[in-house]
Amino acid sequence: MLERALNAFWILLGAGAAWHAWTLGLTGASGPESGLFPLLAAFIVMGAGLVLLSKAPLNPRLPRGAALRRVAGVVIGLAVMAAALPYAGFAVSGAVTMLVLLRTAGSSGWVESVMLSLASVATVIWIFGHLLGMILPRGPWGW
Amino acid sequence: MDPIGGLLGGFAVILTAQNLYLCLIGSVIGTLVGVLPGLGPLAALALLLPVTFTLPPVGGMVMLCSIFYGAMYGGSTTSVLLNIPGEAASVVTCLDGHQMARQGRAGAALGIAAMGSFIAGTIGVIVMTFFAPLIAAVAIRFGPPENFALMVLGLVCTLFMITGSTLKGVLMVALGFLFAAVGLDVVNGKERFTFGSVNLGAGIDLLSVVIGLFGLSEVLANVESLTKSSVLAERIRGLWPTLADWKAAWRPMLRGSGLGFLLGLVPGGGPVTASFMSYMLEKRISSHPERFGKGAVEGVAGPESANNAAVAGSIIPVLSLGIPGNPVTALLLGALIIQGVQPGPLFMTQRPELFWGIVASMYIGNVLLLVLNLPLVGLWAQLLRVPYRVLFPVVLLLCVVGSYSANKNVFDLWVMLAFGAGGYLLRKLEYDLAPFVIAFVLAPLLEQSLRQALVMSPDGAMILLQRPVTALLLAASAVLVALMLRRKNSPLGGGSP
Amino acid sequence: MKLVVAALVSFMMWMPALAQDKAAVARLKPKDFPTQPIEFTVVYPAGGGMDVTGRLLAKYVEKWSGERIIVNNRTGGAGMVGHTYLATQAKPDGHTVGVLANLVWGDAMLRAQGRWTLADLEPIGYLNTDALTWVGRTDGPYKGFTLKQIVQAAKDKPGTVRVATVPGSMWEYIIEQIEAASGAKFLRVPFQGGGAGISALVGGNVDVAQGFYSEFRGHLEGGKVAPLAVASAVRMDFLKSMPTFNEALGGNEYLWQVIRFAVVPKGTPADRKAWLGAAIKAAMSDPELIAEYKKFGVYFDPKLVNSKDVAKDLNEYAEAERRFYQKTGRLK
Repeated sequence: MLERALNAFWILLGAGAAWHAWTLGLTGASGPESGLFPLLAAFIVMGAGLVLLSKAPLNPRLPRGAALRRVAGVVIGLAVMAAALPYAGFAVSGAVTMLVLLRTAGSSGWVESVMLSLASVATVIWIFGHLLGMILPRGPWGW
Repeated sequence: MDPIGGLLGGFAVILTAQNLYLCLIGSVIGTLVGVLPGLGPLAALALLLPVTFTLPPVGGMVMLCSIFYGAMYGGSTTSVLLNIPGEAASVVTCLDGHQMARQGRAGAALGIAAMGSFIAGTIGVIVMTFFAPLIAAVAIRFGPPENFALMVLGLVCTLFMITGSTLKGVLMVALGFLFAAVGLDVVNGKERFTFGSVNLGAGIDLLSVVIGLFGLSEVLANVESLTKSSVLAERIRGLWPTLADWKAAWRPMLRGSGLGFLLGLVPGGGPVTASFMSYMLEKRISSHPERFGKGAVEGVAGPESANNAAVAGSIIPVLSLGIPGNPVTALLLGALIIQGVQPGPLFMTQRPELFWGIVASMYIGNVLLLVLNLPLVGLWAQLLRVPYRVLFPVVLLLCVVGSYSANKNVFDLWVMLAFGAGGYLLRKLEYDLAPFVIAFVLAPLLEQSLRQALVMSPDGAMILLQRPVTALLLAASAVLVALMLRRKNSPLGGGSP
Repeated sequence: MKLVVAALVSFMMWMPALAQDKAAVARLKPKDFPTQPIEFTVVYPAGGGMDVTGRLLAKYVEKWSGERIIVNNRTGGAGMVGHTYLATQAKPDGHTVGVLANLVWGDAMLRAQGRWTLADLEPIGYLNTDALTWVGRTDGPYKGFTLKQIVQAAKDKPGTVRVATVPGSMWEYIIEQIEAASGAKFLRVPFQGGGAGISALVGGNVDVAQGFYSEFRGHLEGGKVAPLAVASAVRMDFLKSMPTFNEALGGNEYLWQVIRFAVVPKGTPADRKAWLGAAIKAAMSDPELIAEYKKFGVYFDPKLVNSKDVAKDLNEYAEAERRFYQKTGRLK
């Protein structure tokens, strides 16, 4: 099921990319234009998707139940961190995300999680922010 | 100035307390930068450039150069231990290095990587000492047609590298081309696949792709089967490579050194391309290619040597001609300029103490790095026994910072996330991710070179046959393709369709 | 009367000295500012000409202001990513200063697509100017040619003289101007930047390259490139023997240079803007920095150095560029 969906996705992606490449122009006075190489690549993607669709799909072991929650949790947790980063700053969004990940996907205890989150974020900010001089996003609270 | 005399002079300059200290600092920082996923030498050099303002030119340049090749030493550490590339040039080391770690042989993998890096780095500097101006004069003549032919060869080698389903591998290569096209078309400045987004207009950042595709997807796969007591390796079986390992590894190390050095010279080449090509070469000439991807020590020895040799190779055009071949050497050039030095053909004769000082420092730096890295192998291996449920959030945090560090743009985090989730799904469906990355790196160079070559040629495509080096490389590619097709048609066959 | 004049003159002479005084800069510093290191945003990759300019500036602004400055490269899209960031996302609280070139005008007028305009960036200080230079090979068929001879060759044999160019920028515009004025036809080979073109020149893959002094100085000293002409109003100090385009080809339209200046996002409070401007002016008056910049072959446009209103004078140059775009049909 997953493989069939993916193959369909390749076909759609290839078709869409081919159309966009077409609009960019294929050949010009001095050889290939912007669209030629992407068009060829898009055709290959589409073609491969079609051929794969005609074959027996794999049935991979997809995560269920607790495993699915863990994997989804990591993805959603990182998404929330990326969304919050420009507003809450690195320190807060990093610490909160780590805490949530440790508690849920990692199923660690409260004390351990809080300490590890704070220590990790503090160390990263020290190494990157102070030692290396990188500018990490700050929240409205100034850090 | 003769090489030996110059080199001795260089050592005289280097062997001062301050310069040695700076070499050491640079090596340590470089190793650290290499170890941290995502934070690559480019970002680190950019961050530390201001420090060189207060240093004398030799000291400043020594520090920066040692960060550059130090990162190549350190990059293998997270690749081997966590299957997360420390930076783009260490992606290939994940393939076999981590498998070795899973088998309890992390020490052997790290040891081979460190030793290979040392041998390659030293060979690179020796060649640099004696042949730098000659090599530079040849390398400068590499124009768009030669670059194109080289990229074609690289792409053909990529097709060789495909494990498992050939069709899926080809799809990944084509996909790599497509994603690489997102952004500005270099040849005419037009926007491609950007849909009005400024972020997409800048193109998709390689580092974020690599961290997501290999790092994040790896974490997701491990988290899926996480238990309270999961660790990456149950037992550490010995900390050092065995005699069998050395016997298997020494030839790949030499080959990797040669290949990496050559690829470092070419503009647009560099450690990333070198590591991939070396892996493909080793796999191709091995008598048991099926071992690759399951813990073959050649898959670690070759690439790790190649990326270090490529550093020496890429520094030659900068020091001998003042011409940078990739962003890191462009930064080194900028650093020299800020120091008031004018790199160019006369650099070696005008500022011999600086030129030879840098060269001498590379010898010393390589030794320092070996001394630094080997004893730490035992320490690093212990990381594998830390419960994964505690390890992975820290690793993710580092991946986030590393990915962000490239452009200070949150968009890169989304790229990392998208490729991470995508990579996770693709691995489940038995897609090989490495061809995607190599196509992603080679495609822009290939396309750009071909179009430039066609523009500058009065006879159109004939230029590809008129220039000897180009014709030679293209012929080699054709031969390889023929061999590949023949192999597939034989009863033994290639991969499954 | 004489006394009044004398007093006025000495007051006016004292005024520039005021800007050089560290204490004077400190006097302008607003309270509670800055609360974090100030970011100098450079929109081009580290190690390039713009980056080197920005880093040197940061070094001397640190010296004159006593505050910590961090240079941050926000690269991508040939500067578009950084320009868009400064114009739309950077907080206008004085902690972000953009180190830009006049290339931002092209982005604003032709490519911003309504997302932002030049009005979103307020110039606070002029840095320096770098004039575009054409260089040729010291071997090959055009060895020893002057610019006029090369243009003639391009006219006699159209499409054979290979020039390195960067699409969508002044590298292309000057070729257009020359072709329009002389009927010559060059073969334009695209590269990602001026430096790549110069590498190609040295390798014999193009016949003419365009770039800046800092990019080809090493090669010049090594005898690998021959300077042809410079696209400025007056000859350059670093190479008095090289004619200007206007001199060599006749006319006065061949003026293409990179003008570097500092901006803050619109809306930055006036007191912070004033302090930043004073700190930059102090740094730019520092003879050490001037000497360092001069090593790169930049020159200091007198009109902008002595400008009373940098924003207004820069805008005049911007409008001239806008007129060029309209004349050549790029802008309606």
